[in-house]
Amino acid sequence: MTKQTLYWLQGGACGGDSMSLLGIENPELPGLLNLLELELLWHPSLSSGDHARLLDELARGARPLDILVLEGSVIRGPGGSGMYDVLLGRPKKDLIAQLAQRARYVVAAGTCASFGGIGADGAIEATGVQFLKKRRGGFLGPDFRSAAGAPVINLPGCPCHGEVLASTLGLLARGSVPALNELQAPLEWYGLLVHQGCVRNEYHEYRVEERDFGDKGCLFFFLGCRGPLSYGPCNKLLWSRRSSKTRVGVPCFGCTDPTFPQPLPFFKTAAIADVPLELPAGVDRAHYLAYKGMAAAAAPQRLSARLTRV
Amino acid sequence: MPTIKLAMNRVEGDLEVRAEIDGGVVTSAHCAGTMFRGFETIMIGRGSRDGLVITPRICGICSTSHLVAAVRALDQVSGVRPPPAAVRIRNVAQMTEHVQSDLRHTFLLFAPDLVHPAHREQPLFEEAVRRYRPLAGETTLEVIRETTRVLELVAILGGQWPHSSYMVPGGVTWLPGEGDLLRCRHLLSQYRAWYERRILGCALERWREVQSRADLERWLVERPEQRESELGFFVRYARALGLDAVGRGSGRFLSFGALDLPEGTRVGEGVGGQLVPAGLARGGEVSAFDAASIREHVQHSWYEGGAAHPATGRTRPYASGEEAKRYSWIKAPRVDGEAAETGPLAERIVARDPLFLDLTAAEGASVLARQLARLVRPATLLPAMEVWLSEITPESAHYATVGALAGEGAGLTQAARGALGHWVRIAKDVIEHYQIVTPSAWNISPRDERGPPGPLEQALAGTRVKDPADPVELGPIVRSFDPCLVCAVHTVERGRTRGRSVVRTW
Repeated sequence: MTKQTLYWLQGGACGGDSMSLLGIENPELPGLLNLLELELLWHPSLSSGDHARLLDELARGARPLDILVLEGSVIRGPGGSGMYDVLLGRPKKDLIAQLAQRARYVVAAGTCASFGGIGADGAIEATGVQFLKKRRGGFLGPDFRSAAGAPVINLPGCPCHGEVLASTLGLLARGSVPALNELQAPLEWYGLLVHQGCVRNEYHEYRVEERDFGDKGCLFFFLGCRGPLSYGPCNKLLWSRRSSKTRVGVPCFGCTDPTFPQPLPFFKTAAIADVPLELPAGVDRAHYLAYKGMAAAAAPQRLSARLTRV
Repeated sequence: MPTIKLAMNRVEGDLEVRAEIDGGVVTSAHCAGTMFRGFETIMIGRGSRDGLVITPRICGICSTSHLVAAVRALDQVSGVRPPPAAVRIRNVAQMTEHVQSDLRHTFLLFAPDLVHPAHREQPLFEEAVRRYRPLAGETTLEVIRETTRVLELVAILGGQWPHSSYMVPGGVTWLPGEGDLLRCRHLLSQYRAWYERRILGCALERWREVQSRADLERWLVERPEQRESELGFFVRYARALGLDAVGRGSGRFLSFGALDLPEGTRVGEGVGGQLVPAGLARGGEVSAFDAASIREHVQHSWYEGGAAHPATGRTRPYASGEEAKRYSWIKAPRVDGEAAETGPLAERIVARDPLFLDLTAAEGASVLARQLARLVRPATLLPAMEVWLSEITPESAHYATVGALAGEGAGLTQAARGALGHWVRIAKDVIEHYQIVTPSAWNISPRDERGPPGPLEQALAGTRVKDPADPVELGPIVRSFDPCLVCAVHTVERGRTRGRSVVRTW
């Protein structure tokens, strides 16, 4: 059996998703490619050889392309020309369009590729591959399907977690498309909240909330944490199998959200009379406030005195 | 006169090089950043601390260094000195990023140039292929494994790598517990043991006795473990390929200085309160650099305006049409009116490291010198990391309250690739001004107003090229500067500029 092929392209990217993929363990990246019988045709940081020839073969269909991964946004500016991001004089967006037509599967790695991310409000006219923020469409249009009949598979996160990337490649390599949510992100990793698994959950439960950095309480009411609102596996998979931002007292910035980066200041919860404008996903406001009032009154001393460790 | 245009891979971001060749020699080179992302003006109007979230995302490779530069600028605005334990945590996280980046760059990005088929007649070629083959070489595989392992240290200190925001004005958000600290020390000692065994082939202490070219020769023949180590092999093979005689830079080196020595530390090295000293060097003469003399020129870049200091300069993409002299999305930073090279070699020169002063005096700032400095930088960082980790105790203070911010600040540091600065101005807790000058802006700079080329452009000029259709000589020169173009690009808000787009293809 010939190996399936993988081509990794960077648009308006920082390389963070590539670093996530390079940082996977058990197996590491080379072992993963062997295990999945995937041939990495090209990665801009790792490959050498005749790139122009490879691109030509892929574009002509002379060489099969099974999985196309785009990292970074599709840069369309200025004025829709795409000339803010060129490869040998040619807008990279044209290359993305061309390769997407050939690929059996198209994967958007990270929030910029999924939803536009950083630069989506900027002069660079950045967009995601099949979404612009919450709106389906993006660069390839709402009706795009790859050669295997799948929509673009979004793996948001800034960066996307390496295990999510590795597992998605594993599923696609055997022809299986994961079940997706309405933002076309796999439910397995985007069907849970960042809040789930946070070691500050006890503090959250009894509304023991911090107004400043450096302590053990919950960061949701005042410090801008979006853990109870944002979908992602940070506190389940953990980073380097070890920790997460909320575990070390850094609020979740909602980097998997289609609107990331939010326009309002980070580190501050938008609130009226100390009650957040945005409440945890799906809750009823009146019930939630009643519950939180009672929870705060019921908070045990071990929490209000910050005795419980995180 | 043939002109070569190369779209460079295995650099971070998008770089294209145009080299004009006459009689088999590069007569002139232009290096262009070909992507514009516009981070700086995204910052304007945002919350005072938002640089801690947005700017690490400029670069997935040196995310921690951008966080350090951003927080140092805010430290200056606040006037609050972070507690010593916070300084230690910030330092160790940044150094961890450096020690993995130095090896990933050398073996994943730089070394593949050395196994190009054009070198197949070299006696050491087979051995090089065995070590360096992309995603398959013996060294490549080990480097991927060990650099990934050591990054767990940053996850322990800061929650994740890349892109976290645990450094805040006033200190850090968290102090690791005893178990976490023990795990950090274990990860570090494991990395050091591997670095000594595989990369150096000797103890750090033995390597640090190498203080001259003559010492290096003695070290190479002293023991087979040294000769056959990654360092030993690299030096021998790079010499065989002539990398000690190409890619000579201007000889002008810049370091912003980095890694503040915390109060009461046992780390006894360093100059001016920092482990990595700041300074400007020319011909081995080191002097203080004047940050006020920095200017970013834009006459050859696709931006409007004139030369300006980053505290006042702006980022407005050039929108008025056809001026052939503009060719890059990178601005041209100059210090005391001139271009300067930055990076690990510049750090060693500014620190008056006798080995690198001797090497560059004899051979110039060659590709070999540049890459050697990168490969051995962990030898200077790892011991201080061990000390700082051991000096953190669970009862140390790690954060001092900082309220609303107003004022100006500059955050200077050394990223893995060299001098990095963030300049910010804040009024009523809102950002009014943000400018970033990255290491690659220094190194990959285009020409300035008066016309002299940037350091990489200068290093390429004069290179002999055997086959213009396959100019294998140029790759190692470019990559020895470890270009990170994702950093060097700028982004702006929609609606700030209008007009026709300008397109250049080199």
